[in-house]
Amino acid sequence: MQVQIHELVGAVHEAAWLPWAVQYFFLIAISVTALLMALPGFLSGRADQLPRARLALMVAVTTGITAPIALLADLHQPFRFWEFFVYTHKTSWMAWGAWVVPSYVGLTLAFAWAVHRPGFASLGREDWRFAWLFRWLSLGGESNWFARPLGIAAGAAALGILVYTGMEVMVVRARPLWNTPFLPLQFAATGCVGALGVMLVLERALCRAPALEARLNRQLALALAVVGALGVAWFALASSGLSPRHAEALASVAGFPVWYRIATWGALAIAVPFVLALALPRNTGWVTGLIAIHAAWMFRWTVFMGGQAVPKVGSGLYDALMPAGLDGLMGVIGTFGLWIFLLIAYTTFLPWQEAGAPQDRAHPATPAKSAGSF
Amino acid sequence: MDATRRGFLGAVGRVTIGAAASVAGASQSAGAAGAAPDDSGHRPHWGMVVDLRKCIGCQACTVACIMENDVPEDAFRTHVSVYELVKDGQDPAMVMLPRLCNHCDNPPCLPVCPVEATFKAENGEVLVDASKCVGCAYCVQACPYDARFINHETQTADKCTFCFHRTSVGLLPACVETCVGGARNFGDLNDPDSEVSRMLRDNEVSVLRPEMHTNPNVYYIGLDDVLDGRVAGEAAYHAEMVAGPGHDAAQHGEGL
Ligand code: SF4
Ligand code: SF4
Repeated sequence: MQVQIHELVGAVHEAAWLPWAVQYFFLIAISVTALLMALPGFLSGRADQLPRARLALMVAVTTGITAPIALLADLHQPFRFWEFFVYTHKTSWMAWGAWVVPSYVGLTLAFAWAVHRPGFASLGREDWRFAWLFRWLSLGGESNWFARPLGIAAGAAALGILVYTGMEVMVVRARPLWNTPFLPLQFAATGCVGALGVMLVLERALCRAPALEARLNRQLALALAVVGALGVAWFALASSGLSPRHAEALASVAGFPVWYRIATWGALAIAVPFVLALALPRNTGWVTGLIAIHAAWMFRWTVFMGGQAVPKVGSGLYDALMPAGLDGLMGVIGTFGLWIFLLIAYTTFLPWQEAGAPQDRAHPATPAKSAGSF
Repeated sequence: MDATRRGFLGAVGRVTIGAAASVAGASQSAGAAGAAPDDSGHRPHWGMVVDLRKCIGCQACTVACIMENDVPEDAFRTHVSVYELVKDGQDPAMVMLPRLCNHCDNPPCLPVCPVEATFKAENGEVLVDASKCVGCAYCVQACPYDARFINHETQTADKCTFCFHRTSVGLLPACVETCVGGARNFGDLNDPDSEVSRMLRDNEVSVLRPEMHTNPNVYYIGLDDVLDGRVAGEAAYHAEMVAGPGHDAAQHGEGL
């Protein structure tokens, strides 16, 4: 039977998760993947790994502070956030997230403080204007053996974040585009791409160490390959019908020209930096890094805003891919502004180039050799 | 002229009788207190049966709900979708589809609420405790019917309550009370003698999106299969309507 349907009267539903949510998922994914990349360097203490680990920790800390602020701003009743801790609803991934996020941020900040403690202490011993501040920051000591257990706990919390953020979105059956088993993996893989992108840009801006740039570019290529492979597998599962959930996700957007453009854009955002990073690992850090950041952000914008543009019962697509307006735009600009401010503060006030492996309990800590070690 | 008026008045008479029957059915099963179980321990379970053959798409229910519940300008707790259906090249048919919260018995909006602000009341209504809701909109995402929204005046989740404030004093929901065609019928699904139970027995009924296994308490008589899910048709809304003139009208379906 041939049926043609024209909707004459229908309601349009605006996106209920605003660009703030995109910012949150973008920043938190970058933060946790960066922390997981920072840990091996600090925990193993291998000197050749430290420069990369320091950049990764800088990214993890600055995005880790900014992300929860974006999350809070996405609540329509932000001052009721305390209810998350009083009425935890065990069946809700979001309720668990409310416990995991502060644990992660707290542990990451504690870990960062611990690896910087010897640096704070040595700045506190020097004879200069702000010595008192650093003495206070070092809490009057320099031992940091506890950085190891703190780092491991922060790493576990980071894994918790990857699980909860992925599951929180994946379990929403009402949104086919979200309800795919690949989504948590795609969040993690694109998070790595974003984190490596930021590290590349920071490397270019702060360190200018070609060997480190080449190494980061190679790792970025690997992360992009994983994202690409996941994308191809997603599409194969969907178009072959092997996975009904993926097939439904594809069907929910197939046939809309704007989605062909998004797919092409996404494929290019993966392919171009991949080829550049492999072919020219040196001197392309700015370009590959910025495209990688854009790819990680774009993925989330498409998933959240594009996903909310698919009506659940009505026809066509809603106008949700561009709910920017002033509010939406302010959310994006505001969080990026705060993050950049934190980056400047971090690089200006912290002895970040001296952060090294935590010392053993028996031996007093000494700051690792700084700038030259890049 | 007279004949027409007589015909019109006759129709009004029938509608009135229909509405009165529904009122009686509701108040009879609701009892004086409405929600509480009666002496025999009977507890009503509210449901709605929408007879699509009777809906004329007048949107009186849409307006009544807005007035009764102070629904803000940019949202609806209920509205009537209207479609033009052309089957096998036959003459087009206008089809109405009143939409509202289904007060599901297995509501996906409930388990996701992080602070237990969404709950199932004892008569089956799915409600939001607005004093508890943090406005996270997770429930808005999880509802497969787009039945929820964030009320920008209260900044909390909002939706149809089956007019809880009215049913708890033995009144019908405002949309049912006002329904011109007698299409909306409300009552106690636990009472085999209620009007809605009888309608469910005597008619072939369907629910929206049965594949979601939400067990809705809103049933439809005469619902066309092509309309029970995401309607694969040309949308009433186009981005270019907002963007203004000068857009290619051929870009239909590209609503982003
Ligand atoms: S229709 Fe939506 S809002 Fe209403 S009970 Fe079902 S899932 Fe919840
Ligand atoms: S918006 Fe309110 S009712 Fe909905 S899930 Fe969040 S807290 Fe619960």
